Amino acid sequence: MAEFVQLLFNGLVAGSIFGMAALGISLVYSVLHLVNFAAGDFLTLGAFTTFYLATSQHLPFVLAVILSMVIGVIVSLILEFILWRRLRRSGAGMLALFLVASGIAFILRQSIALTFGSDSRRFDLDQLTTYEFLGAQIARAQLIVLLCASIAITGIALFIKKSNIGKDMRAYADNASLAAVSGINVDRVIIATWTISGAYGALAGVFQGTVQGQFTNGMGLDLLLAILAAVVLGTIGDAYGALIGGFVLGVVMDLSTWDALAGGIPSTYKPVVGFAVLVIVLLFKPEGIFGVRARKI
Amino acid sequence: MNNLILEVNDVAVAFGGVKAVNGATMSVEVGSVTSVIGPNGAGKTTLFNLISGAIKPDSGTILFQGFEIQKLLPHKIADRGIVRTFQGAKVIKRLSVLENLMLGAQNNPGDNLINFFNPRARNAFEKQARERAMALLKQVGIERFANDYAGILSGGQRKLLDLARALMAEPVMLLLDEPFAGVNPTLVEKLLEVLHALRTEHHLTFLLVEHDLETVMNISDRVVVMAEGRVIADGLPNSIYENQAVVDAYLGTRKLNS
Amino acid sequence: MTAILQPGFWVFILTMSGIYGIFTLGLQVQYGVGGILNFGHVGMMALSSYTMAILVIAHGFNFWIAAASGVAVAALGGAFLGLTTLRLRGDYFSIVSIAFSEIVRYVIFNSDGLTGGSQGSLAIMPIGDAYPSYTDTWDTILYWIRDHLTPIFGEVADRDMAMGILVWITLGILLFIVSRVERTSWARVLRATREDDDVPSALGKNVFRFRLQAVIIGSIIGGIAGIYWALQVTLLSPDDFLTIVTFYAWMILILSGATKVKGLAIAAIFFGFLYGGTRFFTFWPFSVFDASQRSYMRIMIIGIVLIVLMIRRPQGIFGKREEMVLE
Ligand SMILES: Nc1ncnc2c1ncn2[C@@H]1O[C@H](COP(=O)(O)OP(=O)(O)OP(=O)(O)O)[C@@H](O)[C@H]1O
Ligand SMILES: [Mg+2]
Repeated sequence: MAEFVQLLFNGLVAGSIFGMAALGISLVYSVLHLVNFAAGDFLTLGAFTTFYLATSQHLPFVLAVILSMVIGVIVSLILEFILWRRLRRSGAGMLALFLVASGIAFILRQSIALTFGSDSRRFDLDQLTTYEFLGAQIARAQLIVLLCASIAITGIALFIKKSNIGKDMRAYADNASLAAVSGINVDRVIIATWTISGAYGALAGVFQGTVQGQFTNGMGLDLLLAILAAVVLGTIGDAYGALIGGFVLGVVMDLSTWDALAGGIPSTYKPVVGFAVLVIVLLFKPEGIFGVRARKI
Repeated sequence: MNNLILEVNDVAVAFGGVKAVNGATMSVEVGSVTSVIGPNGAGKTTLFNLISGAIKPDSGTILFQGFEIQKLLPHKIADRGIVRTFQGAKVIKRLSVLENLMLGAQNNPGDNLINFFNPRARNAFEKQARERAMALLKQVGIERFANDYAGILSGGQRKLLDLARALMAEPVMLLLDEPFAGVNPTLVEKLLEVLHALRTEHHLTFLLVEHDLETVMNISDRVVVMAEGRVIADGLPNSIYENQAVVDAYLGTRKLNS
Repeated sequence: MTAILQPGFWVFILTMSGIYGIFTLGLQVQYGVGGILNFGHVGMMALSSYTMAILVIAHGFNFWIAAASGVAVAALGGAFLGLTTLRLRGDYFSIVSIAFSEIVRYVIFNSDGLTGGSQGSLAIMPIGDAYPSYTDTWDTILYWIRDHLTPIFGEVADRDMAMGILVWITLGILLFIVSRVERTSWARVLRATREDDDVPSALGKNVFRFRLQAVIIGSIIGGIAGIYWALQVTLLSPDDFLTIVTFYAWMILILSGATKVKGLAIAAIFFGFLYGGTRFFTFWPFSVFDASQRSYMRIMIIGIVLIVLMIRRPQGIFGKREEMVLE
């Protein structure tokens, strides 16, 4: 039981991070039809800028996190203005978008490596305090991450549902040409999309860095697999689906290591479980958990 | 055994809330020309998509030559001899016009990778098929574009290509979705002759969607009228004018004018 | 600086270019003909090279049988990937394929007993061996070739040069075969499917079958590249099969114009120089950075080239603009 609670908790923490990152990818996909392979490296960027600001520049941690989110947004917007906009105007196809996104990923990852080296870093946070809950050891840092992530997720879900920009985003994602002629400010929608994706990517990166304890410039890449799986599970382009997909994946991956389940699988194989879940879901429900049957012609 | 080649029984499909086809029942006789008419959005193209297997019905059955085909994949249905053209015509833009036609050739040994090692069979088939393709292109009057990308063709030319490609497949039954819309009248005459010849020589069955009533009345053995996803009338061309439901739903003022 | 003057350096670059060329040819069949966006191609190379290495080193298999098994496993990997995801929309395939290759690498990394795990294939070799036993068979061929090269090239002729020649002969043969395959009606149907599924299926073509075959053939070619990779590097490591390697192939493919095979060899050499050659950029201003920093910069350069290429010349160096703009 204690183990179950422990794994469930770990899974929820991981899931909240997957969900936040997956949300950004899904939003960007729904609005811009682009699978952002660089998303993982935006997590890394967030973790490293926070590390730099808080540990090297001695800013208060929360301020460092906020500044990192701002940096994530700025980088996303710069890329929008110098790259994505141009590619859209030239009618670039799926391949061009994929490759540019991965080009960005390489550049980001290597810039981080160039600046910070390949050593692992850690935030100057209290990683040791734990609470006991139903026999499970709940680390304070993890608890805070879960709480903050839950607030962030609820906030964004409400924002997309209730705010005017959120409504515009949904309308634009449903039918771009219709939305454009009905007077929706397309630029505003696109900027909002990158803002959310940039800010949440950075935040998810800080959370992941906190939960892992130590992180290197490969952190985001290692996570990309689970994030993409969450996106596909939740039906690509569906923001709420991505959040739920993230949680489902996080929990399933952690619970799969449970001893009670025929000994559980070794925890190093967790990502394989994530992939297996993805493949199984795609086989039986190709449109993702929440997808409606798409009809062509 | 009756002489019906196609039987559509109470077929329905909905997209989200839109009941595109809502319990349609109709049939087509062997060797006949049957036209489907009806207002825009009546479900005519959707009916074609259902028959050709491009979409699956939510309910109902479709029988071709007595076999249920509503669950088959499109290529299986094509294998049985139903070949369709597309409303607005679909061409593969980055294949040449001739290559587009060659796609229509059936049982091409070259489609099978094993025959990579049997170039004789492949080449012999290709040569023969290419000759047939060129003849078809000539019939529809676009042979001078044979080696150009199909993407350069005009809208009307694409229709001709679509039609020729379907003929290339030597179908048993041909579904034509507005084959003459946007094609110039003299050419329409010529195409009608081609189709007529196919009908008499090869006993080809036609099911077509057409908005031009004059053409419909001239060439059809039967006319099926659809409105709002249902078949509201089915009969000899002339009987359609007498049907009150049809007049209300579709013909409207047009009858008064003609 | 001096390394650049050594013939061995050029041989090395050309050999690597050739292996990357073979690897890319697999993608060429999938994307250039079938429009299939596979970002997990490196997984096939990993499967074949590790399968071959394990069978020979740990189970004493004959090299040829092991190599054939390696390629077969790569083909199975392609079949698995295709069967699970090819029926879905194209972007799903891309995402799942990238996940597939990462999973392959991950499993290799964590299966210490089977693959040597993070230490690489060295860990499964008998202690004291410097070279894996699978190179023995190959070496007899290489030395035979070298002995025939010596009269021509003198001292320059060595094992590495023989390897380079074999790699390029293989690439040449494969290029020839693929260019022939691309003239069949099979390839014509596949080219049609890259634009549209409805037309070919309405004409009786089982689009899924064609795509699946393309993925499997591409995987087989990727698997052949994997065998050469194993022979060339001699010590396999999970890090050889990072996703970035797939992107190297994409870069070569884009440079070559993607839809025609003829530019592929030249594009592969170009890439070889960009990638391998920059390793020797140790002079100023690069001398400011240390070796690992320079290696980061090399990958950055590849990222930049990819982006610039997609923006400025999406049809590649040898591609036709025409084909890209048809609407
Ligand atoms: N793939 C689809 N997704 C959603 N709705 C669809 C789809 N295809 C058709 N519809 C809807 O189904 C209805 C019937 O469409 P259909 O194309 O069959 O009409 P039609 O009779 O061919 O009209 P037209 O004469 O204009 O070609 C329309 O309301 C259309 O919007
Ligand atoms: Mg229609």
